Amino acid sequence: MASNPPITDQGPLLTADGTPLKVSLQRSLRQNRNRAMLLVLPPLLFLVLLFVIPIGDMLLRSVDDKLVNEVLPRTFDAFEEWDKQSEPPEELFAALFEDLKAAEKVERGKVSVRMNYAKPGWRSLVKKTSRRLKRMDGPPYKEQFIKIDERWADQEFWLSLGIMKDRYTAGYYWNAVDRTYDFDKNVILQDENRRVYNLLWWRTILVSFIVTIACLLLAYPVSYLLATLPMRISNLLMICVLMPFWTSLLVRIVAWMIMLQQNGVVNDTLVWAGLLGEENRLAMMYNFNGTIIVMTQILLPFMILPIFSVMKTIPPSYMKAAQNLGATPTMAFIRVYMPQTIPGVGAGCILVFIVAIGYYITPELVGGKDGRLIGNMVAHHMQRSLNWGLAAAMGTILLIMILLLYWIYDKIVGIDNMKMG
Amino acid sequence: MKTTLKLTLLASVVAATSAAQAVNIVSWGGAYTASQQKAYQETYKDPDSINFINYNGGLGEVRTQVESGNVTWDIVDVLPDQARTGCDEGLFEELDRSIFTPAADGTSMDDDIMVEVPNDCVVPQIFWSYVPFYEEGTFQGAQPETIADFFNVKKFPGKRGIHTWPQALIEMALAADGVAIKDIYKVMSTDEGIDRAFAMLDKIKDHAVFWSSGAKPLELVKSGEVSMSIAYNGRIGAAVLSEGEKFVTVWDGQVLEEEWLVLMKGAPNREAALEFLVHASSPASQAEQAKYINYGPMRASAFEIMASGEPWFHNGKTIMEHMPNRPEVMARSIIANPDWWADYGDSITERYTAWMGQ
Repeated sequence: MASNPPITDQGPLLTADGTPLKVSLQRSLRQNRNRAMLLVLPPLLFLVLLFVIPIGDMLLRSVDDKLVNEVLPRTFDAFEEWDKQSEPPEELFAALFEDLKAAEKVERGKVSVRMNYAKPGWRSLVKKTSRRLKRMDGPPYKEQFIKIDERWADQEFWLSLGIMKDRYTAGYYWNAVDRTYDFDKNVILQDENRRVYNLLWWRTILVSFIVTIACLLLAYPVSYLLATLPMRISNLLMICVLMPFWTSLLVRIVAWMIMLQQNGVVNDTLVWAGLLGEENRLAMMYNFNGTIIVMTQILLPFMILPIFSVMKTIPPSYMKAAQNLGATPTMAFIRVYMPQTIPGVGAGCILVFIVAIGYYITPELVGGKDGRLIGNMVAHHMQRSLNWGLAAAMGTILLIMILLLYWIYDKIVGIDNMKMG
Repeated sequence: MKTTLKLTLLASVVAATSAAQAVNIVSWGGAYTASQQKAYQETYKDPDSINFINYNGGLGEVRTQVESGNVTWDIVDVLPDQARTGCDEGLFEELDRSIFTPAADGTSMDDDIMVEVPNDCVVPQIFWSYVPFYEEGTFQGAQPETIADFFNVKKFPGKRGIHTWPQALIEMALAADGVAIKDIYKVMSTDEGIDRAFAMLDKIKDHAVFWSSGAKPLELVKSGEVSMSIAYNGRIGAAVLSEGEKFVTVWDGQVLEEEWLVLMKGAPNREAALEFLVHASSPASQAEQAKYINYGPMRASAFEIMASGEPWFHNGKTIMEHMPNRPEVMARSIIANPDWWADYGDSITERYTAWMGQ
């Protein structure tokens, strides 16, 4: 008995090995936390490497205008001195000559590509002149430049330097909404016949909206059927939903082409049945309609799956209870059943809309003249024109739109309410 | 037992390293890559050291590889504008021109090439062209013979297949409007000239079906979706030469484009790649390629080999009438000016996209 110290004895509680309980507890908690951290590390690294860094890079690229200022510092200094009214002075030519001479060939190329965005023609002008730099005599340079290419006497080229004089620019964002800078960096509308982006933005939003609504209208009854039919049949139906989902995107698009083109299965059948004249075959492919039809079919599973998984959890007894209490079946469906499916509907709509807004393969293949979306322009600037700044600006706008949508959804429905399945 | 294991290990290591050392050539796939494999790879001293990869064009991937320092491609098959941009931006390596095989009469490679060589990065490949065509029997009576006929839907009814980018179409529209071939780029450099081209395009706008992949125009014409279409000459020729289709090419106002091979800056197998480039650009190799595809070799001396060797095509058909750069049609052809497109491509593309969508 005496060996047991009385509890009233002061001092911290000790564990069996004599360390205070608090310290020991903290240590084991920390170990657990570290172990948990280790488990989270790979996805965290993945996220940072493949998501945060590239998106950060994209944001930077969309405003970056450093290169041209770093390669042509003297030119921009001389440009600031120039009154912009009189003819371009000799100092400006001399400064450009020094800058081009000091720059590496690669830099000159990159710079001329950037300058060409400000005014078409810079690229060949810089290139042509660069080739003759070595053979040029000392000052004065003005006549020699103009002798190489008479465009050097054109004030507009020199004035266009004003657009690029700052190290960061919002120009790409303005370009992405059919605006551009004039030579004093005021925002003006793009030439009328070059305005294309606003049209595409609206069309992209419209298409995403129509596709979302169409998917919802089609998916709701299908999901209801899937959720309420006996298991044996609903499993079979589920496979019918998932089969296209597992099929390659391209295969499905080509299948639609065969179905919907002017001499396709649908048109042939309608003509054969006498419902359509040979002359008025429907144009369902290579236009706006084609984009809508094919995108709806492709994105349908993204709507069905979340709605289905929510419907599955609604006990049938609720409907019965509502009817017991005197509601008609329609009333019970609208007042009792439908509100409970909102989390699935919300999730499906957000999912479909977000995927649709950045879509580009389908519009590229079936869009034809008026079914192409902003995603196609992003791809064009990434791969063909190599104007990554503009592509990045458009990508950023898309990202902001999606975040905005997410925020609105959170305000209206509440994001905790969303169920993906 | 132990030695066998060691040997196996050693062998697999050797196999792995030699596989890693294969020269990666990036090209467009399909019949085109197949022709390159037959003409260049199979005639090469060490065919296994060459590995072809497909891509969809553009400099996006090239720039990513060079900027990240992780270059896995060695040689890329590029379009004229990419050959220029890539060389200017330092994505491709400038090559010593003296290492390449001269023509039989001693003409240096660069002088043997049928266009002006834009820079020191490029190694000659082929000419290809945008050209209108139709299927035999589509039109009664008079048949389309000029580029103006392509834009004339009254005389030759039916829809027209055109591509979703402005390159070549602007040139063709102006040629159809009566601008002399030599003045086309001069006219295009003025705002009025561009307006004039779009006015011509307006004439077929309501009849236009747009395509963006090379196989599409043939499908459109074959299925009757359109009565005439612009297409790549190689695709038309392949269908006629190899599949016996009855397509008729309108050899007027075609737009000739260059195709070059380039060496990536920082290519992992630089030396081997250079050696292969020398082989692929020789007149004999160039002529050999025309046995398998009807793109025109860039080197004039290759043409002589082919002309004297007719019937040259691998299945015993004659090839010269399918060559886009044969002398008879050169006078009626527009050689695309990539420098002009480098300057104005962005603004014209925006205008064309807007035009398409309205």
